[in-house]
Amino acid sequence: MARDVLLESVPDLRADLDRESMAAADVRTEEMLVNMGPQHPSTHGVLRLVLRTDGELVLDAVPHIGYLHRCAEKIGENLAPYQFIPKTDRLDYLAAMNNNHVFSLAVERLAGVEVPERARYIRIIMAELNRIASHLVSFGTYGLDMGAFTPFLYAFREREMILDLFEAACGARLTYSYITIGGVTHDLPDGFVERCREFLDYFEPKIDEYNRLLSYNQIFIKRTGCVGVIRPDEAIAWGLTGVCLRASGVRWDLRRCLPYEIYDRFEFEVPVGLPPGGVPPVPAGVPAPKVPAGTCVGDCWNRYFLRMIEMYWSVAIVRQALDGLPAGDYRSKVPRNLKLPEGEVYFEGENPRGQLGFLIVGDGSPIPYRVKARGPSFCNLSIARRICRNCLLADIPAIIGSIDVVMGEVDR
Amino acid sequence: MFEAFVFYLLATVAVGSAVAIVLAKDIVRAAVWLLGTLGAVAGLYFLLAAYFLGAVQLIVYVGGTLVLIIFGVMLTGRSPWARQRPSRWEVLAAAVTCSLLFGTVVGEMMGAGWAGSARPTTKGQTVAELGRELLTTYLVPFEAVSVLLLVVMIGAAYLARVERR
Amino acid sequence: MQAIRGEDILKPRWDPALRSRALRAVCRGCLGALAGAAAGAAVARLGLRGHPVAVLLLVVVPLGLAALAAVAGGLIVLAGPIGRALRRFAAPVFWGAVIASVLLIWGVAELMGFVGELARVDPVPEAVTAFGGPLTTGELRESLRGPGRFVLLSGLLWPLQFGVVRDLVVVAGVVAFVSVFAMFAIWWERKVSARIQSRLGPMRVGGWHGWAQSLADGIKLLGKEDLIPAGADRPLFCLAPYLAFVPALCGFIALPFGAYWVFRNLDVGLVFVLAMVGVEVIGVILGGWASNNKWSLYGAMREACQMVSYEIPMGMALLVVVTAAGTLNLTEIGELQKSGWASWLAFRNPFTFVACFLYFVAALASCKRAPFDLPEAESELVAGFMTEYSGFRWCLFFFAEYAAMFIVSGLATTLFLGAWYSPLPVRWGAVLAEGGLLSRAVHGLVFCGPLWFVAKCILLIYVQMWIRWTLPRVRIDQVLYACVQVLLPLTMLALLGQSLWELLVPRGSALGLAANAITSAIGAVLVMGAVGAAAYGRMNRRRLVGSLAVEHLPGA
Repeated sequence: MARDVLLESVPDLRADLDRESMAAADVRTEEMLVNMGPQHPSTHGVLRLVLRTDGELVLDAVPHIGYLHRCAEKIGENLAPYQFIPKTDRLDYLAAMNNNHVFSLAVERLAGVEVPERARYIRIIMAELNRIASHLVSFGTYGLDMGAFTPFLYAFREREMILDLFEAACGARLTYSYITIGGVTHDLPDGFVERCREFLDYFEPKIDEYNRLLSYNQIFIKRTGCVGVIRPDEAIAWGLTGVCLRASGVRWDLRRCLPYEIYDRFEFEVPVGLPPGGVPPVPAGVPAPKVPAGTCVGDCWNRYFLRMIEMYWSVAIVRQALDGLPAGDYRSKVPRNLKLPEGEVYFEGENPRGQLGFLIVGDGSPIPYRVKARGPSFCNLSIARRICRNCLLADIPAIIGSIDVVMGEVDR
Repeated sequence: MFEAFVFYLLATVAVGSAVAIVLAKDIVRAAVWLLGTLGAVAGLYFLLAAYFLGAVQLIVYVGGTLVLIIFGVMLTGRSPWARQRPSRWEVLAAAVTCSLLFGTVVGEMMGAGWAGSARPTTKGQTVAELGRELLTTYLVPFEAVSVLLLVVMIGAAYLARVERR
Repeated sequence: MQAIRGEDILKPRWDPALRSRALRAVCRGCLGALAGAAAGAAVARLGLRGHPVAVLLLVVVPLGLAALAAVAGGLIVLAGPIGRALRRFAAPVFWGAVIASVLLIWGVAELMGFVGELARVDPVPEAVTAFGGPLTTGELRESLRGPGRFVLLSGLLWPLQFGVVRDLVVVAGVVAFVSVFAMFAIWWERKVSARIQSRLGPMRVGGWHGWAQSLADGIKLLGKEDLIPAGADRPLFCLAPYLAFVPALCGFIALPFGAYWVFRNLDVGLVFVLAMVGVEVIGVILGGWASNNKWSLYGAMREACQMVSYEIPMGMALLVVVTAAGTLNLTEIGELQKSGWASWLAFRNPFTFVACFLYFVAALASCKRAPFDLPEAESELVAGFMTEYSGFRWCLFFFAEYAAMFIVSGLATTLFLGAWYSPLPVRWGAVLAEGGLLSRAVHGLVFCGPLWFVAKCILLIYVQMWIRWTLPRVRIDQVLYACVQVLLPLTMLALLGQSLWELLVPRGSALGLAANAITSAIGAVLVMGAVGAAAYGRMNRRRLVGSLAVEHLPGA
C-alpha cells in the first residue's frame, strides 16, 4: 500500500509524475526529475525519493514509502501477544531487542504481569547492548554514505562481538524474540557476564578512535556540518523523537523523563546537541569529546555525534546492570492464553531511533482487538521533505543517513 | 614514404571528420567528430616535429575547448537526439558562401610559393626559443592576450555567480 | 559431516573424454607444425638461399608453434600433479614468475640495446625491403659474445636491428606492462583496503594471498554478456571506454622508466604526458552521456568539471619543477637527480617541496580518486558514469583509471622524487656500472634502474590507496572551492616563490644549500616517521586494536 507523503498540494509535481512527461522532461536545463531508489545504495532500505533538481541543487524531495509493508498491525489482530513478539523483531530489525522490550512492557502493563528482578536487569542489559549495536550500524553506514569506507568495517567488527553475545544468550543474531511477556525466554548462559565485561572493556576506547577517525575529520564536518538544520520548535512540531529531537537541543529522553522498567536505578546522562566548543557529558575515565567548529545545533553532524555519545552511556548502563545483576527467576509464570483485559494501553519506550510506541486494545480474549505500532522512523522521516529543500544532491544521503531510518518500522 | 602515408592518413581523418561534423544530425555526434578533426590536426603537428604545438593543441583544444563544447551541448540540447533541419534556402545560401570561400582559399594556396624542404628549421630546445620570443619580440601581443583572458575569466565568473536569495 | 574444503569446489573438472580429445588435437597440431618447419627449412635453404626473413617465417615460427603445442600437451597430461604442485608451492611459483619476468624484460632490453648499437641505423631506416638489410645474420653471429653463436639466435636477433621492429617490441612491452600493472594494482588495492579495514582481502585464488584474483576477475569479465542499454547511443557507448584507455596508454610514450628506457625521448615530454591525461576526460564524459541514464550523466558532468579544473593546479605545480630544472624533457629532469637524496628536486627548496604536495593533491583529483571520487560515488550515483558499463568495457575504464594513476605517479616520481635513481648517489656505484652482467644487475638494483622507478610509483600509488580508504568524499562544490580558492592560489604562490628563488638565489650559495639540507632533512624525517609509525603499530597491535579482535579475527 504505497502512500505518497505529499503534505502540500503540488499540482505541477503530480503532472510530472506520469510517464510521458517524465520522458520529455529529461534533459532540460531548468529542472530534472530524478528517482532515487527504492533500490539505491544509500537510501537505507527500500525508500524511494523523487527529487526535482536544478543541476546539483535539489528543489524538492518527495519520499515514497510502503515498499516494506508487511501488514504487521493486521497480523497483530490474529496472534496472541507471545506469538506477536517475533513480528516486533522485524519492525526495526536493527534494534530487535528494544522492540521486544517495548511490546512486552505494553502487554505487561495492560495485563498486569509482574516481571522478576533478574529478568528486568537482563532486559536492560540486552536493550542497551542492542542500542550500541544499532548505533554502530548507523555510524558505519553513515560513514559509508559519506565515502569513508573503513569505519563501516570497524563498526561491524564490534557489532559481530555483540551479536556473538546475543547468539550465546538466545541463538539468534538479528531477530531475537528473546525478551517476552513476563521476562526473557532463557537465562543468561554461563560466562556471559565475563564475556560481556571483556567486550565492554575492549569497546569503550574504540568510540574515541571512531571520533578521531571520522567525527573530527574536516571533510566529514564539511559534508555534514550545518546541513539539514532542524530547529527545536520544528522538531517538536513534526513529532521527531530520539536523537533527532535531542540534537536540536531538546533534552527529552523517555528513560530519564518518564522512566520505565528500572532505568531510574542507573546513573546516566542524556546528551543533547551543543554548539561548537561544547563538551557533551561522558562517563568518567573517557577522553572528553569536544564539538568542533563548523557545526551547529540541530545539524546532521550533531545527530550523528549524539549516537556516539549515547554509546558511551549505554556502556555505562550495561556495566552498572552487570554489577547489580541479582539471582532469581528469568521469567514469571505467564499462562499461554493470557487473557488481555478490556481496555487499552499505549506505551512508548526509548528505542535507538526514537520513541517506539505500542497501542494495544484488549477485549478480554487472548487475542488483542487492535495492535498499533508507532514507528519512530516514520515520524522522523516526515521531516525529510522539509529539510531537503535547497540542498545539494550530495546532501541527500547525509540528511537521510543522519535521520537514521529503518524502513521496517516506517512501513511495518 | 612512411611520412607520406601517415600524412595522408591524418589528413583524411581530419577532412573526413570535418565533413562528418557538418553532415551529422546529432549535436553530440558532431562534437565527437570535432574530436577527430582536432586530434588529426594534432597528429599533423607531431608529424611536422612541432611537438610542443601538438601537445598544446591536445591540452587546450581537445582537453579544454572540446570538453566545454560537449558540456554545453549536453546541457542545452532539447533532447538527446536534437535534430537540425535547415531549410532549402539556407542550404543554398550556405553552399554559395562556402564555395566562394573555398575557391578563394584554394586559389591562394595554389598561387603561393611554398618552400621546398620539409625539415624542421630550428634545432634543439624549441620551447626555450618560443618562450624567449614570446617575452621579447612578441611581448605586447602576449600581454594583450593575457589581459583579454583575464577579462574573459572575470566575466565568466560574474555570469556564473550564485544568486543570493 | 565431512568438512567441505574450498579446493574441492574450485578444482576444474576434467572428464576423460574431453582430455583425450584435447590431447589428440594438440598432438596433431604439434606434428603438423614440425612437418611445416621441415618443409619450410627445405624451401628456405633451397629456394630462398637461406634468407633470414624466410628462415624466420618458415622455420622459426612453426618450430615455436610446435614447442607451444608440446608444452600444452604436457600441461594437459600432467594437469593433476602440476595443479597440486602449484597449490603447494604457490608463493615460490608466484615470486619466481615475478623475478623471471623482470629478468626477461631486462634480457630483452639488453639484446635490443646490443643489436641497436651494432646496427647504428636511424630509427626509421630508409630502405626497408624484404631482401637485404643493413646487417646479415653472419655479421650478427660474429658479434655475439660468448657461446651464443647459434643460427637460431642470430636469426631471432636479425629483425631487431630495424627501428620499427624495436618500436613494436617496446609497444607490446608497454601494453603488457600496463595490463599486468593494472591487474596487480587491483589486487594490491583490495589487499590494502582489506588490511586497513581489519580484514584479509583475497586469499584463495592462486593459493598465496589470492594473487590470481585479478586474473580470475578478468576472465570472468571477458565472459560477461555484452549489455548495451536500450536507447543508448551505440557507437558512442562502444567508443567511450577506448577514448579513456588509449590516451592513458599513450601517456607511456614519453614516460621514462630509466635513462634509456623511454619509448620516445620527447623534448616536450612533460607537456605531452599532461595532454594525454587531459584527453581522457572526453572518454569519461561520452561514457556518461551515451548511457542514456541520468545518474551517468550526473557523474559525467561532475567529472568534467573536476578534471578540467584540476588540470590547472596540476600543471602549475609541475611548472615549479620545470623552472627549477630548466627543461621539459623528462629524461633530462630525471638525470638532474642522480646525486642521491638531497639532489631530488622535491628537496631543492621549500617551494618545490610544497609543490610536491600540491601536485599530489591535484593529481588525486585528476585521477578521480577519493576523496575526490564523486564521478564514481558508489553511495550516491550507484557507479557514476560507469553505471551502465559491464564486462570488458567496464574493465577498460578500470584499467584506464589505474594506468592514469601510474602515469600521474610516474610524473611525480620523475619530477620530484628522483626518477629512477635510488637515494644513494650514483657516483658511489660508478665502478659497478662498467662491469659484466652481474655487476650491472647489482648496480641497477642498488643505484639506479627501472625497478626503482616502478617501486617509487607503487609507493605513491599505495599512498593514494591509503588516502582513499581513510577519508570521506568531498562534495562537488567543495571540490571546486578547494581547486579555485585553495590549490590555485597556493600553486601560484609556489610558482612565484620558485621563480624569485631561481632569479635571486644563485646555485651553490649558502642559502640554497641550507634550504636544500633542511628540506631533505624534513623529507627524510617524514619518511622515517611514516615507516616508524607503521612498525610501531604492527608491533603493538594487541594493545592498539584490542586483544579481543586480534585473537579472534585473522585480519585485525
